Amino acid sequence: MKALIIDDEDLARAVVREHLLAHPDVEVAAECANGFEALKAVALHQPDLLFLDIQMPKLDGFEVLELLEAEGKRPAVVFVTAYDQHALRAFEAHAVDYLLKPFSKERFDAALDKARALQAARPAVAPTAAAELASTARQGKPLERIVVKDGPKVTVVHLDRLDWVQAQDDYVLLRTEAKNLLKQQTLASLETQLDPSRFIRIHRSYLLNLDRLVRVEQDSKEHRDAILRDGTRLPVSRAGYQRLRELWEGA
Amino acid sequence: MHPLLASRARLGTYLLGWVPIALMLTGLARSLGWSWREGAALALPLCLLAALLYLSAWFLCRALPLGRSVEGLSTHAMAWGTAALLMGGLWSGLAWLLARMLDFLPGLDALPQRVGAGLPVLTGLGILLYLAAVAFSYLLLALDRALVAERKGAELQLLAQESELKALRAQLNPHFLFNSLNSLSALTAVDPARAREMCVLLADFLRRSLGLGERRLVPLREELDLARAYLAIEQIRFGTRLQVDWQIDPAAEPALLPTLLLQPLVENAIKHGIVTLPEGGTLCVAAEVLEGHVLLRVENPRDEDAPCPQGLGLGLKQVRQRLLGRFGSRARFEALATETRHRVTLVFPLEVEP
Repeated sequence: MKALIIDDEDLARAVVREHLLAHPDVEVAAECANGFEALKAVALHQPDLLFLDIQMPKLDGFEVLELLEAEGKRPAVVFVTAYDQHALRAFEAHAVDYLLKPFSKERFDAALDKARALQAARPAVAPTAAAELASTARQGKPLERIVVKDGPKVTVVHLDRLDWVQAQDDYVLLRTEAKNLLKQQTLASLETQLDPSRFIRIHRSYLLNLDRLVRVEQDSKEHRDAILRDGTRLPVSRAGYQRLRELWEGA
Repeated sequence: MHPLLASRARLGTYLLGWVPIALMLTGLARSLGWSWREGAALALPLCLLAALLYLSAWFLCRALPLGRSVEGLSTHAMAWGTAALLMGGLWSGLAWLLARMLDFLPGLDALPQRVGAGLPVLTGLGILLYLAAVAFSYLLLALDRALVAERKGAELQLLAQESELKALRAQLNPHFLFNSLNSLSALTAVDPARAREMCVLLADFLRRSLGLGERRLVPLREELDLARAYLAIEQIRFGTRLQVDWQIDPAAEPALLPTLLLQPLVENAIKHGIVTLPEGGTLCVAAEVLEGHVLLRVENPRDEDAPCPQGLGLGLKQVRQRLLGRFGSRARFEALATETRHRVTLVFPLEVEP
């Protein structure tokens, strides 16, 4: 069994490494200090198991998982974190284990056993989507940024730099800083992760960053356009207009 | 107890307030054809008696507080009116008695007759004056209430500050604690000596932060010691990713400031600075003295890909509030975020322990 240890702290990686010494069947293929290194190492070593920290610079543990998932890779994952335990307790149902720092040898061995079992039974267990896990861990708080894999490149889009999102079948087109990025996700699922007071579904196919909106123009009886700061026009449906009005009147 | 009877100075001021009324009354009598002598002889003792008598208006007003609703007003008005009529009668009765008592004095023999003719005017005046006393009493009561409310407000504020401090003390960052314990758990196997060092540092930090919370004001030196203990622990955790640059002017060290003001700044610099950078960076803590003020600055590198923070987070807001709460306009709080750096500066007057 090949494993990766992913944590931005040397000492935290050392604890996991030390505990793994007692399990000769697990080979540590690589250690990574951040999410980007982790993505490269997964591509290189094709590991079966990840020991994954959640809070890391640039890309956090959930984002790493989400990007791997987009490539169809789904190694068994044990989160190793000082993250809020209440948020992580919900993971127990999700066929993922977690270790709260600091942890005992017994707890570590139990998590490893669970990962082994998971790996053996792999086809039978449908893993939970990383995005869903992340939103469980966020405990209802909205997303702050979106990660997109664009060929070999990973882009992190902070939400205040996201202008609007367009649905394109199973993908969403993200418009940010005059660039278009494609991500495999439905508009409806993205919408549930965003802050509803910042991003409004103005049309069946469009989510708009409210901060970019200048005005709504009515060009014919049933047809309205949203005019954005950069002059872009996006269609506004009747239901979308209703949502905007509710927001304005509520404010 | 009537507030005007509570001190001699107040009672004196109140009685002085009646002097112009007595003079006006004399003037009025003169205009009705009385002599100066007659007017003054009646007005002065009458006003002195009335001044004491009309103090009773305050008790009536206290018993009939002015509410917000208008409904109560009609019953109140009945009570005021009845009392005013009564007092007006009493006032003119007193005037009549006085006139009788004074008529033996030379030049005042016509006084009882004059008072008898002026009774309706005197009664009316007595009623008006009593109503004025009612209004004045309500004013006194309102002032009293405002004072009490102010005192209560100040007490509450004090309490709030204390409980805030208690909360701050209890708010030992759990992430910090658990991550430190995890580092410790790693060190016990690979470097026992370092592990022991970390235990000592952690104990030192905990003891200091618990001790600091007990006090309102501390010398900057102690805040710096706490930050040193904290950053020494974080340096073990982050290794080479965390460098600390101390630029401390010893002259700033005795300066008094509200407790636990520096710690949130340093924790923020780690959380939003060093932690977000794969290579880490240098955190700078600087204190200097300039024209009788201390400039305390915490600066850290930040991830340039992350958007600049909008507004202040809760931690920084609390720091600003507590700084300005202590020093008012004599202090300044500045938070500045550029693409690559974040800097918080506190400026406050250099005050030392006596």
